[in-house]
Amino acid sequence: MTTTTVETSEEFVPATPAELSRFVAECSDMRMPICPIGGRTSLNYGYPLARECQKVSTAKLTDIVDYPSRDMTITVEAGIRMDELAKALKAENQRLPIDIAQSYRASLGGAIATNTSGPRRFGCGTFRDYVIGISAIDAGGRLFSAGGRVVKNVAGYDLCKMLVGSLGTLAIITQVTLKLRPQPETSALVWQTFDSYEQIDNLLGRLLTSEARPVAVEVLDARAAKLISSEARADLPADNPVVCLGVEGTNREIEWQVAKLKHESKPFEPIAVCEAAGDTTEPLWKALTEFETSSDDLLTFKANFLPSRIVEFCKMATASGIAIQAHAANGIVIGHVADEISSVEQAANTIAPLRRFTRQAHGNLTILQCDSTWKQSLPIFGDPEPSWPLMRELKSRLDPHNLLNPGQFIHGSINDTMSANA
Amino acid sequence: MSTVIQHELIGRFREVVDDDALLHAPEELFVYECDGYVVEKKAPDVVLLPTSTEQVVRIVKLCHEFGVPFVPRGAGTSLAGGCLPVGGGVMIALTRMHRILDVYLRDRYAVVEPGLVNIHLTRHLKGTGYHYAPDPSSQGACTIGGNVATNSGGPHTLKYGVTVNHVLGLEVVLPDGSVAELGGPAEDVPGYDLTGLFVGSEGTFGIVTKIIVRITRDPAAYRTMLGVFETVADATRAISKIIGAGIVPAALEMMDQGIIEALEAAFHFGFPLDAGAVLLIEVDGLEVSVADEAHQIVKLCEDAGAREVRRADSDTERQLLWKCRKQAFGAIGRLSPSYCTQDGVVPRTKLPEILDFITESGARHNIRIVNVFHAGDGNIHPILLFDERDEDQIARVMKASDEILGKCLELGGSVTGEHGIGVEKINFMDKLFQPNDLAVMADVRMAFNPDGLCSPRKMLPTAGACGMESIERSHPGKQAAS
Repeated sequence: MTTTTVETSEEFVPATPAELSRFVAECSDMRMPICPIGGRTSLNYGYPLARECQKVSTAKLTDIVDYPSRDMTITVEAGIRMDELAKALKAENQRLPIDIAQSYRASLGGAIATNTSGPRRFGCGTFRDYVIGISAIDAGGRLFSAGGRVVKNVAGYDLCKMLVGSLGTLAIITQVTLKLRPQPETSALVWQTFDSYEQIDNLLGRLLTSEARPVAVEVLDARAAKLISSEARADLPADNPVVCLGVEGTNREIEWQVAKLKHESKPFEPIAVCEAAGDTTEPLWKALTEFETSSDDLLTFKANFLPSRIVEFCKMATASGIAIQAHAANGIVIGHVADEISSVEQAANTIAPLRRFTRQAHGNLTILQCDSTWKQSLPIFGDPEPSWPLMRELKSRLDPHNLLNPGQFIHGSINDTMSANA
Repeated sequence: MSTVIQHELIGRFREVVDDDALLHAPEELFVYECDGYVVEKKAPDVVLLPTSTEQVVRIVKLCHEFGVPFVPRGAGTSLAGGCLPVGGGVMIALTRMHRILDVYLRDRYAVVEPGLVNIHLTRHLKGTGYHYAPDPSSQGACTIGGNVATNSGGPHTLKYGVTVNHVLGLEVVLPDGSVAELGGPAEDVPGYDLTGLFVGSEGTFGIVTKIIVRITRDPAAYRTMLGVFETVADATRAISKIIGAGIVPAALEMMDQGIIEALEAAFHFGFPLDAGAVLLIEVDGLEVSVADEAHQIVKLCEDAGAREVRRADSDTERQLLWKCRKQAFGAIGRLSPSYCTQDGVVPRTKLPEILDFITESGARHNIRIVNVFHAGDGNIHPILLFDERDEDQIARVMKASDEILGKCLELGGSVTGEHGIGVEKINFMDKLFQPNDLAVMADVRMAFNPDGLCSPRKMLPTAGACGMESIERSHPGKQAAS
């Protein structure tokens, strides 16, 4: 997602959640809409704001509130940068195993609001698996909390789940308690190129009952593979489609799993087999994580559908010149649409068959980034899902005057109708 | 419900379900008057046993039309009164909707009906290399629909997560009788995570009629160990050492002397009767790693003062160990006629403190308390033994329970790790949450259940839509009838 330049002078930057709560309540009284800002990595995500908004930033809410590392939980304010958080956790040999692009800028609250994830999501899960407590401020300025600070807790409604991926449209996240994992001793990536997508499909089928337990199963087309290899300065073979498998654990586990994965791949005749281990691993993980935001192409999408259909989708997309990275075992595909496309009509035509395909495969296609003038003509959040009316009902209960990021999410035009009636 | 309305409503229900799926004679309703929380009882006026989503829709629409409250029920194994029909009304028991509709191995999901018994899914998957991970101790009886309602855990959730971590999507009948599809078999459906919000809502958002669950790869290898300790304090020290060493066991369960005695009498496993506590520890993963981890765990237990650490050498022995653990509640019948299981959570480093407090509280109220619980995630299950025919004992059990849960809160924990709020803990909600928190939760419920007819007076200490009056908890256990 590209960066949007935001006028910083008009921003309200509270020093405490209580201060933010009071400010939001005042805005609410004046029916002034609000746009919450974290690390400014995803401001371009979703539909353009329907009305001019007061910007509020969490840049000063960066405290580590409580880090009882023996309990493997941490409570932090939502404005903390992901890199800062990772650094604190690393000092205790722990981590939050979610891959976040631009982690030097991205804030925790923003990453949660956009439900960001990356290659490790297959083995480690996503934010919904780690956020165990949350505090946030709703559109009326009410500072509320849900969950708690213990790893297992079913008291009250799970508003943590509700806020993960809610794009700042239900509440402004101010503080989060996370469940943590131990830092693995080491990791490795097995990078293999294949002649055809059919062989990749067969390998993906084989991996379902692999004796190894990869934490990442990535499929890349040659264009994406080149980009990622060069980003990692790894000089990996990238003339053909790639399957890249990631494993984590002790040195012994890694050694055993890498050998096992190579052995299990053999029947599918990889052209080239490489391994990133030791110092070369981290840059490659990073490049795989950054791919989503690394392109200058005019349109980037995320498709979600059944993992068994990955290869069919990859073939279709590659034929249209789209660079693709698939978190294959999760059925998630990131695609950068080729720069030759210069009009919204062309863009719509290119993604139309892919959208149809994802619908048939029980999924959808979301546009992560594109020229802002195209947005009103493209289905940014894909085709309507059956649960959207219920989501709109939820939005209207929590934000009756449509003040938080108005028009930005699935509600789109409905939101405007809502606010007109309000 | 007035007799006239009841009569008319039953007549309308007859058009929806067969006669054998409609119960209203008092003697037929006895079994539905409580769940595993026997302190509160209230029989519903009518019980229906639908077999399809369409029947559930028609039943709910009729309840809606007549303004009669309704409550869903699975197998009734819940332990906090979650499926108690507070104030009476209609109970919709989903046990006849128990089919496995589809299993897609390549896409790692299964579609099941809510009445499916938890363990039946894992049995069905045997041989595929996959299983359904959430494994509550009652998994031989409890239903997956009920697990969704309470967001159930189980011993292996320490490593694999609770129910919500394994649910991809739901088909639900909302309280107005409309059907909604939340989530789906693909991950990251655009929009809010209503599936995640619905799981654990204890039947207050609607009735689940279909569940899309993630299935999990079987571990390649296990090592199951039994650490024997002189005292509970030694055992908790071992837990701290294991977690502190960066090992995440698949399960880490503690049983104290009181429960060991009952288990030994029931199963003759060979538990040491003079031990203060035993830890049941399981690691799973790759063959190359479990041996190392097991070795490390043995060493850490010995450092913490373990008398011995036994290993389950065969799968039969492992199965027997787990059978003992999971049927521990059944064995309690040997100790007393009734029991009340508590479900507090503390940060795991606070386990020694809470266990001392439990012993002290039991002594003060002259109530025998035994412990069997998920030590790895700090989820305690003190079991308070009593005779429900003795009102004074019940009052003392309630008092001790409240004190223990209050102490959990004081230590930074929660009053429920996996059993839910139900009716039992509703009065703790305003101790656990601030007025704003509860107000936002009430708003969220309004989006799903605006009339408050679905599972009234549950979860939140307000009546919901109409009234908003507070429920006074009158000891012992009379609120269900209110």
